[in-house]
Amino acid sequence: MSGAGYALIDQCAILVFGCSALGQAVAEQLTSRGYPTYLFSNDMDEVSDLLAKGFDAAHLDYMDDERLRAVGIGKRVKTIFCLFSEESKNVFLTLSARALEPELKIVCVSESSVSSRKLIAAGASKVIDPYEISGRKVHELITRPMIVDMLEQTVFGKYIDIAQIEIPENSCLTGESLFTQELKNHKVILLGVVDIELSEELIFSTSGIKHKLDAGDMLVVIGPEKEIARLKEDIQHDRKEELLGR
Amino acid sequence: MGFHEGLGSLGFSRSLIRLSYALEDSTRYRRVKDFLYDLLENPRARVRPYFDIFMILLVVSSVWLLIYEVRNDLGLFDNIFEGMAVSIFILEYLLRFWIYNESHQIILKHYERAEFINERFRVWPALREILAKKIEYVTSPLAIIDLLAIIPSYRPLRFLRIFLLFRLFKLFRYTRSISEFVKVLSEKRIELLTLLIFMAFITFTAASALFFFEAQGENTEITNFFDSIYWALVTMSTVGYGDITPQTNEGRIITLILIVAGLGVISFFTSIIVSAFSDKMHEIRTHRVISEVERKHIDVILCGFGRVGQDVADRLARDKTPFIVVEPDEKMFRLAQQKGHLVVQGDAESSDLLEHLGVNGRASRLLCLTGDDVINVYITLSARQMNPGIEIISRANHRENVIKMQRAGADHVVAPYEVVGLIAAEYVGQPVAFEAIYALITGERDEGIETVRIHQSSVLDGRCIGDVNFRERKLIPFGVVREGATQLESNPYRYDLHGRNFYFNPEPDFVLQAGDFLVMFGHEFSVVHFRECLERGTL
Repeated sequence: MSGAGYALIDQCAILVFGCSALGQAVAEQLTSRGYPTYLFSNDMDEVSDLLAKGFDAAHLDYMDDERLRAVGIGKRVKTIFCLFSEESKNVFLTLSARALEPELKIVCVSESSVSSRKLIAAGASKVIDPYEISGRKVHELITRPMIVDMLEQTVFGKYIDIAQIEIPENSCLTGESLFTQELKNHKVILLGVVDIELSEELIFSTSGIKHKLDAGDMLVVIGPEKEIARLKEDIQHDRKEELLGR
Repeated sequence: MGFHEGLGSLGFSRSLIRLSYALEDSTRYRRVKDFLYDLLENPRARVRPYFDIFMILLVVSSVWLLIYEVRNDLGLFDNIFEGMAVSIFILEYLLRFWIYNESHQIILKHYERAEFINERFRVWPALREILAKKIEYVTSPLAIIDLLAIIPSYRPLRFLRIFLLFRLFKLFRYTRSISEFVKVLSEKRIELLTLLIFMAFITFTAASALFFFEAQGENTEITNFFDSIYWALVTMSTVGYGDITPQTNEGRIITLILIVAGLGVISFFTSIIVSAFSDKMHEIRTHRVISEVERKHIDVILCGFGRVGQDVADRLARDKTPFIVVEPDEKMFRLAQQKGHLVVQGDAESSDLLEHLGVNGRASRLLCLTGDDVINVYITLSARQMNPGIEIISRANHRENVIKMQRAGADHVVAPYEVVGLIAAEYVGQPVAFEAIYALITGERDEGIETVRIHQSSVLDGRCIGDVNFRERKLIPFGVVREGATQLESNPYRYDLHGRNFYFNPEPDFVLQAGDFLVMFGHEFSVVHFRECLERGTL
């Protein structure tokens, strides 16, 4: 990719650093959902391999802050992924990127709980341990295969979605208690709510906290695609009878 | 006369064949013999260790009594105990003699062959073969030791009492470590024989030379050739009692040479033993682990102690689920050992190893978690061929290999990188909902999904979902999983789960049945409390 190519990287673009199998898997998922994704690595062979496979990949020396700035970190880019196989590279990149842009979302992959702590200290917003997740899944397949099967087939399959819906200004839902809100007229389950003003923490509706909904809150619902779309529309148009069932 | 003889042997062979067939048919005979085989010979039988321990105790106590009796008189008790021990030994000897082979089958084999080629059945060749088999048993080293442990108890042979110590050799039979020791040494017999010849040569030469110089001297300590042989061995072995010392200068020079040669012999001997064990250590260790797997009926096999394998092993260990790790890499193997897991070093690609670990029968689960997709596919495929019923969970690092794993026979495929891709996409698209998804995938939060089974006679059997106040219990009924496809239903929120039905977010009038699984979302404490109430029927 030439210097002119960098200019193409727009606001919603996602940068993936590290082009191993993991980087590819992430880029594939992101591209398939329509996010413009660019892969970077300092390994020329990996890059040419990816280019051959049809990815937007480029060679980049991640140690050079100027280069990082040139691809949009500190300006337009909102999210980057550090997916190098070496932990030290991830830590270094996280530190550099965090210094360039305090608001940047940095997602890192880690090898163990020890390195997770280091990455958080370096400024990562989210650390994912693929091996721990896989280990847990294998264990769950042994201890409670039915739940794994159910989630695979429905929630992570094609039937049921998890979605977030924002409550608009002057909605009839404002002032309602999360605890008693059931959304009876929609075939969805309200898992919880995030009050962006307070924190990014998800308040589960089963936590028993008496939270009053207000505008700007994000509802997290789970249900079939159609029902979620219907709910979104009803909230958008503030259809009182549908939402509150009165 | 000839006629009579022929008739007699005909009648004898008839009854022999009839007896053989009767034995072949008898399940009782089979069962008794199988039991005795398990007890005495079968290293994998469950009763075997108990029998071995009993025999070890018997041998040790009888030898101890023998030693004690040298100075003390025990009278009647000693006689009774000795009599009992000897009868057990005799019984054991005879039983082993009996189960050594299947004599009636030899007769039947000969008979059927004779019938097949339309010839007269002759008894003697068959009997000769049986006799040869039995002689083979009697002359086997362990059988000779057994016999030597019995014979000296016979009164007229009392002078052979020292041979009663041979009973200690019986311990070979009952302890695996001693027999392994002998096995290891016997593999080095050529080296040991060379050493022995070398040693004999040096001893003899040195002893002759010393005798030559010393025997004629005055105040000499060597009076005959045996003295000098004794001196040579004591000196060469570096023991050097000093009860016989050379008096002449020539003798001293010989001693110096012998001491240097002795050092060589000792170090040669040590190195043979050490190398024998280091060569065999791996095999012995593997053998030990495999026999432990068999004994404890471990049925989960974990191949590959990489990052995923370690995580799974930790979780299984926390659950106290027994499992065995297979790992070829030395470093990882040691790590697994340090963590206290049962581990065998070897390639899981080897069918032999998988077979020994029980993949073709006993094992119920195989986890292929190595970092290499090619190896995982290979293990999956070979294990599936060995055992169609075993549950196989495989790890696939590349997405395109998931299908290959399934085709090779994996029941479940776990793809670490794909999971990260999924999480990444959700994180970018729905950063808020992501938390909930992450909680569901990783289970890191205390809130999560749990199932509760509705038992027969449970209070919920036949009740509606709406009858239970889930809200109050801080739970959300997420769905119901019901066994079997229930006819045609109009419920659009029924999903197929490999032969089971999953009803998402059931309506309040949904009627629960025994056998249903109620899937709930909530804090783990809430679920535990719910389960407890359900058990007590106080819902």
